Amino acid sequence: MVLKVFFPQCCNRAASGLLVGRWLPQHNSAVVLAVIHYPFIPIQVKEYIRQMGKESHVDLSILGSWSLPQDGEEDKDSFQDGLSAIFDMQRWLQVSRRLGHKGFTCRVLGETMPEKEKKKSEEKKEDEAEEKVIFVHYEQRKVMLSQLHPVQNGVPDSRDDSLSELRQVFHTVSSSGPLFFLDKYDDSPLKSTHWQSDGREGSIIVELVKQASVPLCALLRWILAVWTWICAMRIFGLFPLPFLWSKLSSCVQLSYRTQHLKTLTDGSQSQLLRKANVFVSFLVDIGLGLFLASWLYRDQHISMLADKLVPAADHVAKELEELLQWLMGAPAGLKMNRALDEVLGRFFLYHIHMWISYVHLLSPFVESILWYGGLSACLGLTFALSLLSDMVALLTFHIYCFYVYGARLYCLKIYGLSSLWRLFRGKKWNVLRQRVDSCSYDLDQLFIGTLLFTILLFLLPTTALYYLVFTLLRLVIVLFQGVIHLSVDFINSFPLYAMGLRMCRPYRLAEGVRFRVLSEEPGTALHLLMEINPLKSSVVVDTYRTPTYSCYPKDSWSALIKKLFVGELIYPWTYKSTKGHAAKAD
Amino acid sequence: MGPDDGPGTVVAWRKILWERQPFPDNYVNHCFMEELRRNKGLRQYRYWAVVREAGLVGQQLSCVAIFITLWLYMEEGLLFPGTILVVSLATLLMGYGLYRALGLRVEPVLSHRTCLADLQRATIYLAFIFCISPVLKRLTESLSTDTVYAMSALMLLAHLVSFPYTHPSPTESLSLNVALFASVCLASRLPGTLDTFTMLSCAPMIFALWPCLLRRVKDRVPCHFAVGCAGVCAAGVGGLASRWPGGVVLLVLALVFVILLCPWLLVRLQRDKDNIHGPWDEAEIHEDLSRFLH
Repeated sequence: MVLKVFFPQCCNRAASGLLVGRWLPQHNSAVVLAVIHYPFIPIQVKEYIRQMGKESHVDLSILGSWSLPQDGEEDKDSFQDGLSAIFDMQRWLQVSRRLGHKGFTCRVLGETMPEKEKKKSEEKKEDEAEEKVIFVHYEQRKVMLSQLHPVQNGVPDSRDDSLSELRQVFHTVSSSGPLFFLDKYDDSPLKSTHWQSDGREGSIIVELVKQASVPLCALLRWILAVWTWICAMRIFGLFPLPFLWSKLSSCVQLSYRTQHLKTLTDGSQSQLLRKANVFVSFLVDIGLGLFLASWLYRDQHISMLADKLVPAADHVAKELEELLQWLMGAPAGLKMNRALDEVLGRFFLYHIHMWISYVHLLSPFVESILWYGGLSACLGLTFALSLLSDMVALLTFHIYCFYVYGARLYCLKIYGLSSLWRLFRGKKWNVLRQRVDSCSYDLDQLFIGTLLFTILLFLLPTTALYYLVFTLLRLVIVLFQGVIHLSVDFINSFPLYAMGLRMCRPYRLAEGVRFRVLSEEPGTALHLLMEINPLKSSVVVDTYRTPTYSCYPKDSWSALIKKLFVGELIYPWTYKSTKGHAAKAD
Repeated sequence: MGPDDGPGTVVAWRKILWERQPFPDNYVNHCFMEELRRNKGLRQYRYWAVVREAGLVGQQLSCVAIFITLWLYMEEGLLFPGTILVVSLATLLMGYGLYRALGLRVEPVLSHRTCLADLQRATIYLAFIFCISPVLKRLTESLSTDTVYAMSALMLLAHLVSFPYTHPSPTESLSLNVALFASVCLASRLPGTLDTFTMLSCAPMIFALWPCLLRRVKDRVPCHFAVGCAGVCAAGVGGLASRWPGGVVLLVLALVFVILLCPWLLVRLQRDKDNIHGPWDEAEIHEDLSRFLH
């Protein structure tokens, strides 16, 4: 059996002492966390180890002894032999190194094999001490900060044997924070060497932020509670309002951000990386929004925009009028039914006139509306974009109305035609069996049915043309709104912090490890260096995406085309509900 | 003799499969070919009887011709729509009376309720047509005349092809619908709204009500059936002749072909029939299902 010892690189040159760490018996390996130097009092060491183990919930123990004789030091071999007896451990490692040599030598004392194998090799007692040892060197600070993916939900029990070896190693190192607090420069009875001995890092700003974040979180939580209470008031539950809220994308975005802030400030320590992502994207959003706001509010940009808005709406209406006049003539040489043409054309023209008068009514207020609307950019670029999308939707409301009229008329016509075509052939739709059956109609049913069929058939090209024109216009607007929503969604959900980590500190997100051979001298143990494989960027984005109301096309292409053909109203972008997100955030 | 026969065991082969016999399943004996029959159940057609039946087809052709004549007259403005309406109303009442009278022979009670129901249906239909005719008038305005004529011709041909010459038939409603479609196409080309209304009231009479009456006449008084067909054919030829000589020639040729030539062909070709029947035919169930009808 091969024994694997995970040895931190910072302890390669440590002075002689005791190895502190954890055994992993089921994988036959040991993780060395620190070296406690001479002189020490064994009782104090045992007490210290017990206390550290309780604080960090890791099964700490003394693994063995480490000897690196400095120049002029006498050999302490005989002293070390007695240590295993003092600490009364089942297995004892005696690792030693000479200055100038790369390799370590290691002796394993104590029971090396489990019960049943021991019986087999009772005759080979001399082999007990000859167990092969592999030293795997790891950089302690990196392994401590790293997180092995895929992340398991919940805190894994350190005694959980079903975890893989690598996971247990990572978990051991990362949980042993309390052990790394005291080092050899402190004034305590025990002097140890670990990664922090190379220089403790600390930053005043980070500490201040950590201290300030607790009351800040409490304040935010209180504000959010008040806001949620206001929103939940009954007065906002009256009939048209919830429908409006769900349709306006700015309100959706507002509720979304509230949700984000709630998860940020809930005070628990889980899912720190996700919270960091949310926080960073929030900051970036607000930063971009402030930049936009500063651009809007200087140099009279707002009044320029307001001046251009009403003439733009007028221009759109005029273009629509010309389009309708063209349709009422003989568009593209198609044969339209004159009477129906005129009826439909006049109907839509009347709507346009109503719309123009409405826009002119609003024109004195446009500038102030824009001014106050621009303030919303301070809440974030996503708000400004959502507001833009809402404004576009409101300004092109008449196109939406025309589309609905045209689609309903067309749908009715197609439905009537298909039913009357069945009557024409002498068949009918059997609702019970969901199939077409033959049917004997009465004479007058046949007369009236055929006449209606003829009328609908000859009026079809006219209706179809109007439907086509208005559907195309609506699709253009839907496309524009879709682009805006996609970009809002991107800003909401892209894990900036995780990607930044992946760029700057790739060891934080680990996919796995790779080993490199350090030295393979005969007579000494094999030395490997364990390096962390960072996670692929695509996997980072996939894992850490904030789940949003990602708007994606509801229907496939074929379903969309079928709906267009039959005349059903299309709402191509659909929003995933935020309920799923709330459940996941726990 | 079977293949597994031993000396002394002669088992007669029976035409059954539910008992094991020493013969293979597809064994047949000498009676098989003796049961061959030729032209079993051959019908003997008599020429004039066939001509009489073919008269139905001819009269339907003439009905279409009469309809086209009516349209030609109205299009050129030679007949007032009011006149036609009065005449057709009179004809309708006469035909309805005849229909009910012929029905009296079988059901002795003339129920007022059926008359009232019929009257109600007719009124609804006429009112509907009256309201819709302005719309129908402008329906094919944007189509070219050639397209309208071609569509109507196609539809009338389809009507003739799908007409239920034997009753009942699965394509009954299709023929009527197609004829109405053609009449709407033609009626929309007439110069006035009243013309359209007249045309659309005459069309169901010619295409829906007249065949019903003719069928009843054929069932109840078969001797007058031939007279009726001949009369209709004559009217069709005469009417078309007054306005469209080319069409008359076509009509006469078609009538001669259908009424006189085709029956002769049918009778003549019976001689060349050579069907064989035998035990290998599929089984047919000859059961009298009429006992379920009462």
